[in-house]
Amino acid sequence: MAGAAIALLAIAFQIVYLPTRVFFLGLAGIYSAAPFVAVALYTFSGNWVIAVLGAAIVCIALSVLMEWANHAVLSRRNASDAAQLISSLGIYIVLVQAIVIVWGNDTRTLTSGVQNVTTFGDVFVTSAQWTIAITAFLLLAIFSIFLMRSDLGLRLRALADNPAQFMLLGKSSSAHRLLAFAFGGLFAAASSLVTANDIGFDPYIGLHAVLLAVVAVIIGGQSSFSGPVLGALLLGIIRAQVVWYMSARWQEAATFLLLAVFLLFKPQGLLSSKTRLEALQ
Amino acid sequence: MDYVLHLLIYIAIYGIVALSLNLVVGYCGLLTLAHAGYYAIGAYTYAIVSLKLGWEFLPAVAVAALVAAILSLLVSLPAWRLRGDFFVLASLAAQTLIASVLVNWFSDSAPFGTWSNLTNGPIGITEIPAPTVFGFKFRTTISMAVFTSIVAAICILVLWRLKHSPWGRLLISMRDDELAARGLGKNTRLAKVQAFAISSALVAVAGSLYAAYVHYIDPSSASLDGSILMLSMLIVGGLGNFIGPLAGAVVLVALPELLRFLALPDTQAANIRLLIYGIFLVLFMHLRPQGIAGSYRLK
Repeated sequence: MAGAAIALLAIAFQIVYLPTRVFFLGLAGIYSAAPFVAVALYTFSGNWVIAVLGAAIVCIALSVLMEWANHAVLSRRNASDAAQLISSLGIYIVLVQAIVIVWGNDTRTLTSGVQNVTTFGDVFVTSAQWTIAITAFLLLAIFSIFLMRSDLGLRLRALADNPAQFMLLGKSSSAHRLLAFAFGGLFAAASSLVTANDIGFDPYIGLHAVLLAVVAVIIGGQSSFSGPVLGALLLGIIRAQVVWYMSARWQEAATFLLLAVFLLFKPQGLLSSKTRLEALQ
Repeated sequence: MDYVLHLLIYIAIYGIVALSLNLVVGYCGLLTLAHAGYYAIGAYTYAIVSLKLGWEFLPAVAVAALVAAILSLLVSLPAWRLRGDFFVLASLAAQTLIASVLVNWFSDSAPFGTWSNLTNGPIGITEIPAPTVFGFKFRTTISMAVFTSIVAAICILVLWRLKHSPWGRLLISMRDDELAARGLGKNTRLAKVQAFAISSALVAVAGSLYAAYVHYIDPSSASLDGSILMLSMLIVGGLGNFIGPLAGAVVLVALPELLRFLALPDTQAANIRLLIYGIFLVLFMHLRPQGIAGSYRLK
C-alpha cells in the first residue's frame, strides 16, 4: 500500500519534471503542509470533505505560486538546473520551518481509534490502506485517461517531449507549465493525505517521501508516466520485504543501495528505451 | 572572551568544511550532498581511535582522513558517469547510507568500540578527549582556538598549493569542458577520484576537530540538514575561489549569534535560523547566483 502512495507522489514529481526539467523539491514542502492544512480546516469547519478539498486547493495554490514566483522567473533568465534545484530546496526549508513555527513539530494523526480490518487468509488490510489503494487507483486511472485521451493531455505530453517545438507551434509554454505544477500540487496533496490518514504525520515527512518518489522515478524510468508507477510499486514491495526479513532500521540503506545500483547499471530505468547516460542530462 | 574564542573555533572548523566542499563543487562543478557524511566519518573515526586505542591527535586524524578518503569512492565512482540532478541524487544516496550505518552499527549487548557496536548508534559517543600533540593537551578554549586556527591555516595552504598546481588547472578545465579536457589526454576520472578523496580527507579533519572540541558526536552530524548547511555556506559566500567559501562560513556561523540579540523564543530560534537559510538560498539564486564573492556559477 505504501507503494501506491509513493506512486502518486512519483507522478506528482514526474508531471513537473518532464515538461519543465525542474527538480521540484518544493513538492516536499507541499507534502508536509497538506495534512496540517487539512487538520486546521477541519478544526475550523468540522467537516472532513471541506478539510480535504480545502487542503488540496491550498496545495495546488502553493505549487502554482512556486512556479509563478520562482521557477518561471529563473527559467526566463535561463538559470541553470542547479539554480532551480537549490532555490527549490530553499523553498522547501522555508515552508517546513514555517509549519514548525506555526503548528509545532510533534507527530500527529488525522484519525484516532481502531481501524476496521479486512482479512484475506494471512493478509490484513486496514481501512486506511484501502483508502490509499482506492484513491491511488482512481486518481492514476483518471490521470492516464486525461493524459492519453484529452487535447490538454496531448499538449502536456508535447511540452514534455520538446518544449522548443511546442512554443514554435504557437502554444503558451508558461500556461502549460502552470498546469503541470497544479497537477503536481494536487497529486502531492493526495499522496500526503492518504499516507497521513494511515500512519500519521509530522513536518519533516515531506523530503523523505519525495526522495522515495524520485527513487521510484529513476527505477521505473524517467521518460514516461507509467515507469514511475511501476517503480513505486516495486519500491514499496522491496521496502516491505526488508522490514519483514531484516529490520525497519535498514529500510533506508536498502532503498538508496537500490538507487545506486540502478544509477550505475541501468540509469534509464526499467521502462525506457536504451539511451546513453549522457543524453539524459 | 571565551565566547569570541568559541566563535573563532567554529569559524575555523567551518572554514575548512566550506573550502573542502568548494574543491568539488566550485572546482569540479559537482554538487554533492554527502559532505556532512564525511564530516561525521572523520569525527567518529577520531573518537573511536582516540578513545579505544588512546592515540594522539595527529595519528588519529591521519586515520580519520584516510578512512574518509577511501570511503569517498562512494561518491566519486558515480561521478565518473553522472552529472547534474542525477549526481546530486547519487550523493544523497551515499549520505543516507553513511548516516544509516552510523545509526545501525550498534548493539545493546556489546560495549562501545567492539565490532558489533562500533558507533554506539543513536546514543552517540561521549567523553571524546581533547587533542593531544606530542604530549601537550589543548584543554583551554584559548589553546584550542590557537590549535584549530593553525590546523585551518595548514588546510588552506594545502588547498592553495593544489589550486595553483597543474592539477588545480586540470580540475577547472574539466569543470568548464570535460570533453575537451579528455580530448587533450587528461584522465578526468582519476582527477575526480583524487578531488573527492582530498576534499573528504580535509572535511574529516574538520570533523575530528569538532569532536575533539565538543567531546561528543552523534549520528545527527551526518544528517541531510548538515549537508544543506554546508552547501548554504558555498551558495551564500560564493564558489570557485578562496574568499567566497570563507565569507560564507563566517556569515552562516555568525548569523545564529546575531539572532540571539533579537531575543527570539528559545524553542523557535533554531527554526527561524533554518528559515533564514532557506530564504538565503532562494534570494541568492535570484539576485546573486555567484554568491557574495564567488567566481563561478553552478551549471
